[in-house]
Amino acid sequence: MKDLIKITLNLAIIFICAGAILAVVYAGTEPRIELTKKLEKEKALKSLIPEAAFINTAGTYEPLEGKKAEYYIAKDKNGKPVGYIASSYSKGYSSIIHLFVAVDPAMRVKAINILDEQETPGLGDDIGKKYFQDRFKGKTLDQLVVVKNPDPAKIQAVTGATISSKAATKGVRTGVEFLMKTYLPGKGVTNGAACTQPKAPDKGEGSNK
Amino acid sequence: MSTEGKTSYAGLLKNGIFGENPVFRVALSLCPSVAVTNTLKGGLLMGIGVFFVQTLANVSVSIVRNFVHQRIRLPAYILIIGMWVTAINLLLEAYAYGLYKQIGLYLQLIVAFAIILSRAELFASKNKVVPSLFDGLGMGMGFLIALLTISFFRELLGSGSLFGYHIVDTKPVLLFVLPAGGFFAVGLLMGFFNWIDMRFFGGHGASGASH
Repeated sequence: MKDLIKITLNLAIIFICAGAILAVVYAGTEPRIELTKKLEKEKALKSLIPEAAFINTAGTYEPLEGKKAEYYIAKDKNGKPVGYIASSYSKGYSSIIHLFVAVDPAMRVKAINILDEQETPGLGDDIGKKYFQDRFKGKTLDQLVVVKNPDPAKIQAVTGATISSKAATKGVRTGVEFLMKTYLPGKGVTNGAACTQPKAPDKGEGSNK
Repeated sequence: MSTEGKTSYAGLLKNGIFGENPVFRVALSLCPSVAVTNTLKGGLLMGIGVFFVQTLANVSVSIVRNFVHQRIRLPAYILIIGMWVTAINLLLEAYAYGLYKQIGLYLQLIVAFAIILSRAELFASKNKVVPSLFDGLGMGMGFLIALLTISFFRELLGSGSLFGYHIVDTKPVLLFVLPAGGFFAVGLLMGFFNWIDMRFFGGHGASGASH
């Protein structure tokens, strides 16, 4: 009986002490954690489209069943859209890959950023490295296809990690497809170059001839 | 196993690093020794995490050692360890977010590490606060050094790089990056340290704590 009371008291005191310490730590760190996360997200968005003056949340969509993702519109200081960013999820080899994809107004990929993945360390997790993410730069939707050998017009898979590479590419495709549907409802893939090339550069060349 | 009060503090540190090295001698916490050591960075971060938790847990267990009832000591120790892990987790998330993103997942696993509970039970619950502090520091360092050694060989052999910087352009023995390679690396290194112990110090190999 004496033991019983002592044990109960023991446990109660220890739990209350531990709870109190954690409550203090939590209260002290919580606002900072929120702030850091917000800044971190803004920094990640900004680094995708550095020339944007504002990046605003435009809404949410569902790239993977049960996973809601936000998309954003990036504008310069005159309010003209300079690009769009979609957050996207895709099922990888051993994890769900979460990424950002940024496109220019002609829907060519400007940059991607893998935010979270738990693929095989040393193999699949190479998709988080710069050399792989750089392979997406300038690609149109049609070019987002994974191949095994080097091909500047396609996405070359990470050696030994075809599944992870395909999954990352699928995530990017989902994002780009959604952005096209939303912001370029003219359907068919636009040949960016034809309609966005301004006339100004002609001047210099003309004089040479 | 428990060391008497007379042992010097330097002796306690040495005991954690060599005599009763958590991984190579006592063979505890082998799971993280295999799971996170395929890169040197993973080994380093996990080692540092364990170092702090081990030290804090040892000190707090030692403080409450005369107060906690024998029959509930294990839940009490687990609670203390869990509390420190959570507190460190929150502090890192708030003040070192970059580090937290890399280490956060590992850190939460530390609660269940055998070595920490084992030191709390075998040493801190029977010794005063200061010796417990040094035992924690020694064991933490021993674990950190063990993880660094394992991950050094695994990353070098498996990925041909160290800390993510490429040393050679190929992956010499890909097996070492995969979980199976972790078992080989831990086993071979443990054998190597046993050999040193038996050849030069006249010991009996792992688990025969001889220093």
